[in-house]
Amino acid sequence: MVLPRAWIPLLALVSSLAVGSGPVVAAEPMPEVPRVLLSRQLVEAQGLSVGQIVQLAADPAGVGARSYRIAGVYEPLPDPFRLTAVRLEARFHLPDLIGLTRASDDPLEAESVTRVNVALDDPDDAQAFARDLTSRLPGLTVQTTSRPLSGSNLFVILDRFHAAIATVTILGSTAFLLALMVMRSEERRETAGILRLIGLSRPRILLEVFVEALLVALAGALIGVLIAAVVQGLFNRFFQWRYDTALVFVRVTPGIALRCVAIAVPLGVLAGVVSSWTLLRRNIMSLLRR
Amino acid sequence: MSSLSFAWRSFTRQPARAALGVAGIAIVGALLFDMLLLSQGLAVSFRDLLEGVGFDIRVTADRFVPSRASMIRNGTEVLTRLRALPEIEDAVAVRFGRAEALHSGGAHVLVNFMGVDGAARNTWTVVEGADLPIDSDAAGPAVLVNRTLARRLNLSAGDSLRLRGSCDPRRSAMPAIDFQVSGIVDFRFEAAGEYATVTTLSNLLRACSPTDRDAVTMFLVASGPDVGPDAAVRAISGVLPGLNPFTNQQFVDRLQTAEFSYFRQISFALATITLFFAFLLIATLLTVSVNQRLGEVATLRALGFRRKRVVADLLWESALLVGSGGLLALPLGAALAFYLDGILRQMPGIPVDLHFFVFQGRATIVYAMLLAGTGLLAASYPVYLAARLPIAATLRREFTS
Repeated sequence: MVLPRAWIPLLALVSSLAVGSGPVVAAEPMPEVPRVLLSRQLVEAQGLSVGQIVQLAADPAGVGARSYRIAGVYEPLPDPFRLTAVRLEARFHLPDLIGLTRASDDPLEAESVTRVNVALDDPDDAQAFARDLTSRLPGLTVQTTSRPLSGSNLFVILDRFHAAIATVTILGSTAFLLALMVMRSEERRETAGILRLIGLSRPRILLEVFVEALLVALAGALIGVLIAAVVQGLFNRFFQWRYDTALVFVRVTPGIALRCVAIAVPLGVLAGVVSSWTLLRRNIMSLLRR
Repeated sequence: MSSLSFAWRSFTRQPARAALGVAGIAIVGALLFDMLLLSQGLAVSFRDLLEGVGFDIRVTADRFVPSRASMIRNGTEVLTRLRALPEIEDAVAVRFGRAEALHSGGAHVLVNFMGVDGAARNTWTVVEGADLPIDSDAAGPAVLVNRTLARRLNLSAGDSLRLRGSCDPRRSAMPAIDFQVSGIVDFRFEAAGEYATVTTLSNLLRACSPTDRDAVTMFLVASGPDVGPDAAVRAISGVLPGLNPFTNQQFVDRLQTAEFSYFRQISFALATITLFFAFLLIATLLTVSVNQRLGEVATLRALGFRRKRVVADLLWESALLVGSGGLLALPLGAALAFYLDGILRQMPGIPVDLHFFVFQGRATIVYAMLLAGTGLLAASYPVYLAARLPIAATLRREFTS
């Protein structure tokens, strides 16, 4: 259950009144206080600790508040859909939650749950089980947790957005690289002329250019992957701090690193060879400015 | 020959190189421009949507985004007290629910079901038929449906539509009620593919018979023309301290720091990387260009060209490179923004009229300033090289090599 922001001052007040400076030690046998788990964010925000007794209410005004002992602190499951939410949460035993949130004496309310999670003996039966349950219990929505990602899934769309930006970045880099290589070739114009003059054929010089470009592109791609691997930690730490979450935002996997190398190396080699070829196809006298 | 003409000749001396440099700047500039549009686009677009409805204040129970789980109790009394405030011109109660639309053809469609008590101004636009009758309850239950639902169930104005409502989060087994489709509308906040209907609050309560019949999801409030939303919010907080009134601007500000912050931050990160990339590109191109022309620069200096003149030539060359690339980036960026906006607007639940990339004059000015600053900064090293060039030593080196 997520505690609305408005409840927190109440929670803090009631908590401090109830517990003073530490856990309550009962002198006489007391009825067992129901236990609750609080999220790390809530415990930190309110300065609580395990063992303390807090009062929680379903009503923002604190009507019907009940006492609970903090049995533990948990890290909420990272959820990208709730990235910007402040995870001030608590976990109850189901009967405790129903008892706290019941708004009426309607017996159906005590039997109502939001959803039921089911673990199958054989996960491969999930689709058939969902179909079967839907037909047996009309009105229920039965979904498997391993549905294929559809085109309208948020993460598929974000992936497409990032891919589009990456493509534009590659185009920009290619133009940059080509401009640089054209200038570099121009710088080596006379060297190329001399090499041609002493008898090296165009394919031979082009092969050298190819090998050189390959080595430079490989080195550049590897340095790029290394930088990305280092930066991913900084990036993750910043955003984990910013959103107070354990979510991982950037992960440089071997697959992604390979994809980067597979794009960068051919592009680098192509830029080197194309720019050199524009130079080498000229005649020797032109290369030597004669 | 002026510095500009001289720089132009240097710039166009190697057309392939110049074209590639301009292309690089144009692509990088387009990305930078788009990131600037993205950083504020969602907020600008959302504010336009909110203000277009005609209400400048919303009142909810306890949170910014209203939900069926968080209701305002004693809705009738709260509405009366709101309307009695002199700072308020109009207030409308809204309750959200769900309904099962049962079509004669056997199709069952789950729809969003909204009930309003009062004139909802521009919350929707009628595209066919008529708006909700003023006294819909007396004339029989009337409902407005959006175009998506009308297409799905092949509905026209005047048709009958059976709805089985559900106002509580728990599923209900209420009997279905026959509504007459008064008109077909576009909702201002409807998402692509969403099925949506609206009727009066009393008809919604008839259709779904909730546990708390006097609860509403939120109030839409219009402040008085001479009062303004901030004063009206203060007045509401004064008489109804348990509720959460907020202006459109406060709502947008809150979204900017929470729900929209991902796009703001990714745009900031990408804009920074893009600027750094542009800096590298310009600095490298100019530095290599100057290095190739050291002899030429030394000769010009020997001929009597002043240091200032050489610096001016190089700055003009940088301006030509950045200026032409930067100008080309604007249409390129607009096309790219259109494409990227199309991708992001496929997100589920996004209103059809909401845009992530919105053209703003301010963003264009910031873009021009950032690019100009980057161009100047990137030109500083090659300019320093050219300005500090030892004339005699360079000429000698050029001659001997």
